Amino acid sequence: MPVAQPYVYAENSTTVETPHALLPFLQSQSQSTLTRLYQRPSSCLSIFRLLAPLERQLVMNLLWLESAIQPSTMGAWVIREGKKIYEEALTNLSRLHILPNPTAKLALNGTFKTSFRQALTGGGTSGSFGVPAEPDDKRATPDIEALDGYALERWETILHYMVSSGTGQHPTKPSQGVLFLLDRSGLMGSFHGSPLQITSAGFQFLLHTPHEQLWDLLLQYLHLAEERQMDLVEVLGFLFMLSTMELGREYSTENLSGTQKAMLEDLRDYGLIWQRRPSSRRFSPTRLSTTLTSSSPPLPTSTGTSSGPQEGFIVLETNYRIYAYTDNPLQTAVLNLFVSLKYRFPNLVVGSITRDSVKKALMNGISADQIISYLITHAHPQMRKNNPLLPVTVQDQIRLWELEKNRLKSQEGYLYTAFASQADYKFVLDYAKELDVVLWENSSKRCFFCSLDGHTNIKGFIERRTMVANP
Amino acid sequence: MRTIIGILLTCDPAVKQILLSMNEKHSFIIEDLDDHHLVIKADEEYRVRKELEAELEKNTYSLE
Repeated sequence: MPVAQPYVYAENSTTVETPHALLPFLQSQSQSTLTRLYQRPSSCLSIFRLLAPLERQLVMNLLWLESAIQPSTMGAWVIREGKKIYEEALTNLSRLHILPNPTAKLALNGTFKTSFRQALTGGGTSGSFGVPAEPDDKRATPDIEALDGYALERWETILHYMVSSGTGQHPTKPSQGVLFLLDRSGLMGSFHGSPLQITSAGFQFLLHTPHEQLWDLLLQYLHLAEERQMDLVEVLGFLFMLSTMELGREYSTENLSGTQKAMLEDLRDYGLIWQRRPSSRRFSPTRLSTTLTSSSPPLPTSTGTSSGPQEGFIVLETNYRIYAYTDNPLQTAVLNLFVSLKYRFPNLVVGSITRDSVKKALMNGISADQIISYLITHAHPQMRKNNPLLPVTVQDQIRLWELEKNRLKSQEGYLYTAFASQADYKFVLDYAKELDVVLWENSSKRCFFCSLDGHTNIKGFIERRTMVANP
Repeated sequence: MRTIIGILLTCDPAVKQILLSMNEKHSFIIEDLDDHHLVIKADEEYRVRKELEAELEKNTYSLE
């Protein structure tokens, strides 16, 4: 039986699928950028994989049509309840310029159509899916296990560096490029020349799934690429190319453009690709990159590597005790953000969620919802038998602790008081309301409180009025 | 008409009572608006928050 949400202020977490993080970025690009991107079959396929199911359905329906069809023809399929979702899908596609002008006629962007057809049926020699390197008899291609180990090591180095910054430990530093990106993205920051420290955004980042984290960083990379005057089409095209490559295969760098060759170094630092030597003329994508646009997990699922179990490992009891079956230092460090840890065994960490530990997390900018969603995503399979999954008492208490922190809300501004007449009061108040700067009002006391930035406008307004009244 | 610069505090009535009693020791309230709102001096906010937190902390108990 579903449990009623006990607190109105706890936001209802709906299960509506949010669009992929990359799509808003693509939608903000100009039509010419996108059209150039659509010349690459691999990009079309990757973007198609990022779309929502309904959008994919629409694209597939239109893909093999030679001529445009009337919007009414397609509209006849849509039942009344689905109308809104259908319209939204059309808008999204038109913003991506996949479906230009959906109100007049429905036809796919010509470039997109040609390339996507090519992606599905093969043919063409554009090499947009990467050119496999000639097999080298002297050196064996790296096996998948080694690639997974490499990707994991790189990725966990980044996360571990973030989580242990400021705790006095000194884990291995990621490369300068990564540090710069972390700094620029606001996930870490340095205050007054001190070494990099994790920020509140960084703490939230740590609780995301690896796939989200990866795209978060890549989006930052894309923004940075824009500033560095790198050609976005080349950058995006390369990421999409990687996402369609085959794990465990070597590809040649010869067909890559200058921009893309420069990217090799950055992507090597993030663990997205592997190269024998920096100067090597071949590279292998790791699982991090081949799953960029798919729903499979970006980090290896086998437990043979140094990492802890990938499926859930946390058991949470009604008495706030938490048992985490892991030996992974990263997972332990993340738990340490909001749990007070008690004992540690070779494969088990025991702690409890206390008021102080949650308060510490809240102070770091982590929200109660994030803690709860982290616990839910990483719950042990045994916990999945429970309904609701987490003990309600614990969930509620975490939310209550968060509310306790927000008992006092403060807003800076000006108090307007001692008006001569009700008419004067109403006159000024109406103007302030129009500007939407009134934070509090009371007409019987004839006073109101307006925000700081509204004050100058209101002051100017009153001065103008008095000038008119007493010239 | 008069304007006063300050900080609008929005809180629950219980917290407001604590603030009122704190005000008796060291005055910082400019205007008492209603059960949920107060206007205080802008430069006192940090101190008030600190003191309030210490006051609220007295009412919690930990097993550790």
